[in-house]
Amino acid sequence: MVRLGKAIALAAFCLAALTGAALAQGQLRFCLRSEPKTFDPLQVEDDASVAIRYLTGGVLVRLNRQTQAVEPGLATSWKISKDSKQITFKLRSGVSFSDGTPFSAEDVAYTVQQLMDPALHSATGDAFRSGAGKVETKIVSPTEISITFPAPVAGLDRQFDQVAILSAHSPKKEMAVLGPFMVADYKPGTTVLLKRNPNYWKTDEQGRKLPYLDSIQLDIQPNRDVEMLRFKRNEIDLINALDSEYFDKLASTSQNVAHDAGPSLDSEQMWFNEVAKAPIPGYKKNWFRSATFRRAVSQAINRNDLARVVFRGHAQPAVGPVSPANKFWFNSKLKPETCSPDAALKALQKEGFHLENGTLKDMQGNEVVFSIITNSGNKYRERMATMIQEDLQKIGIHVNVVTLDFPALIERMTQTFDYEAILLGLTNVGLDPNEQMNVWLSSSENHQWNPAEKTPETPWEAEIDNLMRAQGSAADPKKRKESFDRVQEIAVEQAPFIYLVNRNALSAISTNVQNASPVILVPQTYWNVERLSLK
Amino acid sequence: MFRNDRVLTDKSQRDALLSAHLSVQYGNKPPVLRGVQLDIQHGEVLGLIGQSGSGKSTLAMAILGLIDRKRVDAQGSIFFEGSDLLTLREAALRSLRGRKIALVLQSPLSSLNPALKIRTQLRETWRAHASGSSADCDSTIRKALESVSLPSDDDFLRKYPAQMSVGQAQRVLIAMAVVHRPALLIADEATSALDVITQAEILKLFRELNQNFGMAILYISHDLASVAGICDRVAILHQGEIVEFGNTQKVLTSPSHEYTQRLLAAMPRMPQASFAAKAAAR
Amino acid sequence: MSFWRRVACAVLLLVVAVSLGASSLAPAGYAKQDREAAGAPPSHAHWLGTDEIGRDRFARVLYGTRISLFLAPAAALISTLLAALVGGLAGYLGGAWARAAMAITDLFLSLPWLFLLITVRALLPLNVSPAFSVLVTFLILGLLGWTAAARVLCATGGSLRNTDFVRQARASGIRGTRLFWIHVLPNMKPVLYAQFWISIPAFILSEANLGILGLGVAEPLPSWGSLLKELEGLVSVGEEPWKFVPLLLLVIVVTSFQLVLSKQDEVAA
Repeated sequence: MVRLGKAIALAAFCLAALTGAALAQGQLRFCLRSEPKTFDPLQVEDDASVAIRYLTGGVLVRLNRQTQAVEPGLATSWKISKDSKQITFKLRSGVSFSDGTPFSAEDVAYTVQQLMDPALHSATGDAFRSGAGKVETKIVSPTEISITFPAPVAGLDRQFDQVAILSAHSPKKEMAVLGPFMVADYKPGTTVLLKRNPNYWKTDEQGRKLPYLDSIQLDIQPNRDVEMLRFKRNEIDLINALDSEYFDKLASTSQNVAHDAGPSLDSEQMWFNEVAKAPIPGYKKNWFRSATFRRAVSQAINRNDLARVVFRGHAQPAVGPVSPANKFWFNSKLKPETCSPDAALKALQKEGFHLENGTLKDMQGNEVVFSIITNSGNKYRERMATMIQEDLQKIGIHVNVVTLDFPALIERMTQTFDYEAILLGLTNVGLDPNEQMNVWLSSSENHQWNPAEKTPETPWEAEIDNLMRAQGSAADPKKRKESFDRVQEIAVEQAPFIYLVNRNALSAISTNVQNASPVILVPQTYWNVERLSLK
Repeated sequence: MFRNDRVLTDKSQRDALLSAHLSVQYGNKPPVLRGVQLDIQHGEVLGLIGQSGSGKSTLAMAILGLIDRKRVDAQGSIFFEGSDLLTLREAALRSLRGRKIALVLQSPLSSLNPALKIRTQLRETWRAHASGSSADCDSTIRKALESVSLPSDDDFLRKYPAQMSVGQAQRVLIAMAVVHRPALLIADEATSALDVITQAEILKLFRELNQNFGMAILYISHDLASVAGICDRVAILHQGEIVEFGNTQKVLTSPSHEYTQRLLAAMPRMPQASFAAKAAAR
Repeated sequence: MSFWRRVACAVLLLVVAVSLGASSLAPAGYAKQDREAAGAPPSHAHWLGTDEIGRDRFARVLYGTRISLFLAPAAALISTLLAALVGGLAGYLGGAWARAAMAITDLFLSLPWLFLLITVRALLPLNVSPAFSVLVTFLILGLLGWTAAARVLCATGGSLRNTDFVRQARASGIRGTRLFWIHVLPNMKPVLYAQFWISIPAFILSEANLGILGLGVAEPLPSWGSLLKELEGLVSVGEEPWKFVPLLLLVIVVTSFQLVLSKQDEVAA
C-alpha cells in the first residue's frame, strides 16, 4: 500500500507538473491508535471512530478548532430560540451525498430522530438529552428545518459539531457521506483507506473544489514506538498527541516537524479524599476537609518545576478547572498558585499545625503523613508524585507514593474510598462548562473528592451547585460565563482539586504536508484536513 | 521346610539372638519369602546364600524393619531380644537400627553419601543413638575407624567418599556399622563389589569384629565359596525358601538339597578344598 | 583459590564496600532532586548523570545496590528453601506426599498471580514506609518464586529416596527429619544452587515489575529494578551509555557470585 501510495503521489506529481497546477495532490498517511469500532457516526464512542467521523462526516455547523468559534457547515445560518430549546437551520442547497443522493432537510430530520432514538443509546445524542420527552423536527422547506428539544440545551449550536448527517434515502446508508472523504476500503486490524468525496460541497477562496488530497490511509497501530519509527522513516505524515520525551527526541533530530501548540484543555490534578465514610483515620479526614490544609499543600507544590522537569517545558502550571487554552470560558482573573512553602507553613500554623524536628504535626500531635496514589505505567504522573513528595517534605509533610494498576485505583476512588490522595489527569474534550457538570454537581457520582452527596455538605459546594445549574439553564453566554467564572474562583479558593499542570498539545507533522497548522483541540494536526496537501 | 523344622528346636529359638519365621509378599505378586525359619545365635557368623532375587535382601530389610508395611504383606514373626520386630512401632525399631542391628550394604561408594565428609557421616551415625560432647563423639568415631584398620586423623575424616578407594570406603561403612557395637551386623553382599584381595581383607575384618566384639553377623551373599571361610553355619535360600540350613562344614561336605549340590558343583575346585580344609581346622 | 575466584571475591568486596560507603561517596543522596539538572549527562557533580527528575544516578546506583544486593539473595534463599521443603521433602517422602506437593505446585503455577498480587496490595495499607515496602516486596518474591525448582526437586527427592546411602543411613537409625536435612538435602545442592542463582537476577527484575501493582520498592528509594527500568525507552546503546551502568553492575555481581560459590560446589560434589 505504501508503494501504491508513492505511485499515486508520483502520478499526481507528474500530473501537477504537466498541468502546472499550484497544488499537488496525493495520499496522506497517519496512524489510528486503535481499531475503529463503528463507521456509523451516531454510534461513535472511541477515538478511532471519532477520527473517521471527523474526516468523513458532513455537519451542519463546524467548531473551528483554531478560533474555537462555530462556523457554518451544511447550514448556512441558524437561530436558537430564547429558551434554548429550539434551533432553526437554513441549509445549503445543491449539495449531494458521496453516492450522489441529494441532501435536504429530510436527511437532517432523519438524522436527529435516529440520534435521539432511545433504543440506539447514542453517546452523541446524550449531549442533547437535557430533559424527558421527545424531540420534534419540523421541516419548513427542503432547505429549512427547526428542531425542538423538550428542555433547554446549553450551547445548542456547538453540539451539532458532533452530529454527522445521514442520508434518509441512500441505499448505502451510513456509507453515503457529506464530509470531505469517504471510506473506500477497510482491512480490519490493518488499514482504513479514505478517498476524496467528489461531491464535497466546499471550495477554497479561488473556487477550487476541496479537499486537495486524493486519499488518506489510516494505519491501525496501537504501538507508539512503532508509530514514531514509521514517522521517522517518512512512512506516515502526522502524529497527534505526542509524548514530551518523543517530542524532544524528534525536535533534536529534525527541524520543523515537532509542533508545540501550547497548553491543551487537559489537566493533571490531585485531590484529597473528603468522603465522610471513607475508611481512613478521623484526624486525617479533618486535614483533608480543611480548605486551609488543601490550599497549603497546593501552595507548597512547585508547579513550575513540574512543568519544566516532568514535561520538559511542554506543560504550563495549571490555574483552575479551566485551561487557559479554553479561550472563552477561562476566568482570566485567576493566576496560577505561586509556590511558597513559607506561606503554606504559616497558614498551617494558624490552624494549629506545628513543625517538630522537621516533621509537621497537627494539633493533636499526629504526624502529617499521607499517601498519594496514581496509576502505574504513567511515568509522568509517577515523576510528578515523587516531586510533590519532595516539595511537601519541605513543610514537614511526609508523602508515600503508591502506584496502582488502573482498575485497582478506580475501585479505591469510586467504590471503597480507601485512599488519601489521588493524582490523575482529566481529559477535557469539549469547551463548554456543561461538559464539566458531572464533576461539579455535589450529587454527581463523578464529584470525585466526595461523590454523590445527598445534600451539599459544605456551603461552597452548595454555591457551586447553584452556579452550575444557573449557567446550564441561562441562554445568554455572558450570564453563563459570569456564573462559571465564579465556579472557577471557588474551585481555586477551596481547592477540592489541586490543579497541577495543563499539558501542551504536542504533535509531529512531516515537512511534506502543506497548510498544516496544529491546534490544541482534537484533531490537533488534521482539523483543517480539507486544505492539507502534500509537496 | 521339613528339614528346617528339625533344625530349629524350641530351645534354640528361645536362646537365639534372633529367630525369624517369615513370609513376605509384595502386593499380589508371588511371595518373596515363604515360611522362612531362621535363627541367629549370639556371636555366630551365619551365612545366607542365595541367587539374586531369592529374597535374601528382603529378609535383611525385614529384620531392620525397613520394608514398607503398607505395601508389603509380612506374616510371621522376627524375635529379637524378646520382642517381635514385625509388630514393633517405628520409634522402637529406629532405636534398634544402628544400635543393636547394623547394616553394611554391597556397594561402598553408593552407600556413602557423596555430598558429606566421612566425619559428618560417622558423627550422624553416632548421634542417632548417643548424646554427648563432640569430643566423646570423635573418640568413638576414631575407635571405630581404628577397629577397621583405617587412619583416624583429621585429614582422613575430612575426606569425601569420592576421594577414597573402594576398599577404604567399605571399611568406613563397616566402621559406621560398628560405632554402637551392635549385637547383630547384617552384611548384605558386603564384599561382592570388591576385588579378590580386598574381599579377603574385608572378610578377615568381619571375622575379627566377630571375635573381638562377640558381634553376631548375618552374612548375605550369592557366593557360597567366598563366605564359607568365615561362617559357622550357612542357610541356603532358594526361591524364597530355605532349602538347607546347618553347620558350614556339613553343608559343604554333604549337601542334601539338589540346589545346594548344584551350587557346590559350580564352585571352583581349588578354593573348595582349601575352604573345606579351613573350615575343618576350626 | 583460583585466580578468577580471587578476582570475583575482590569485585564483590569492592561492590559491597562502595555501596556501604554511599553516604560519603555520593553525598548528594539518592532522593535529592537537582531540578536544574534533570536528565543531565555525566559531569563532575553527577558522575553518572541524573535521572529524569534530577536525582544523582551514581548515588541511586549505590543505594540501589545496597537494597538489591542484600535483599534479592535473601529472597532467593527463601524461595530456594521453600522449593527444597515443598519439592524436595515431598519427593523424598514419596507417595501421597509427592502427589500432594505436585498438586500444590501446579496450583501455584496456574494461579492468576496478577489478581492475587492485586489482592495482596489491597490488603496492605497504603501508608507504608519505603523501607517496609522493600521488605514486603522481596518477601513476596521469595514466597512466590519457588515453584519451578520444586518440580525438579520433587523428582530429585524421589530418586534420592531409593539410593543406597539413604537406605544405609536409615539402617543406622537416623531420625527421618535429620536424615532429610543431613543426607538428602546436600545432594540437592546442584538444583538448589541453580535455583538460587537464577532467582537473583529474576527477582531484581521482577521487583521493578511489581511496581506496576503498587508493590515494588517505593519512591524515593532506588533499586536495581527501578534503575533498569530506565533502559526501557532507550532506542540505542550509543545514545546514553551511562544508563547501562546498573545493568553492567548486575551482570558483574551475579557472575562474581557464581564464580565464588560454584567452585565450592564442585569440591563438594
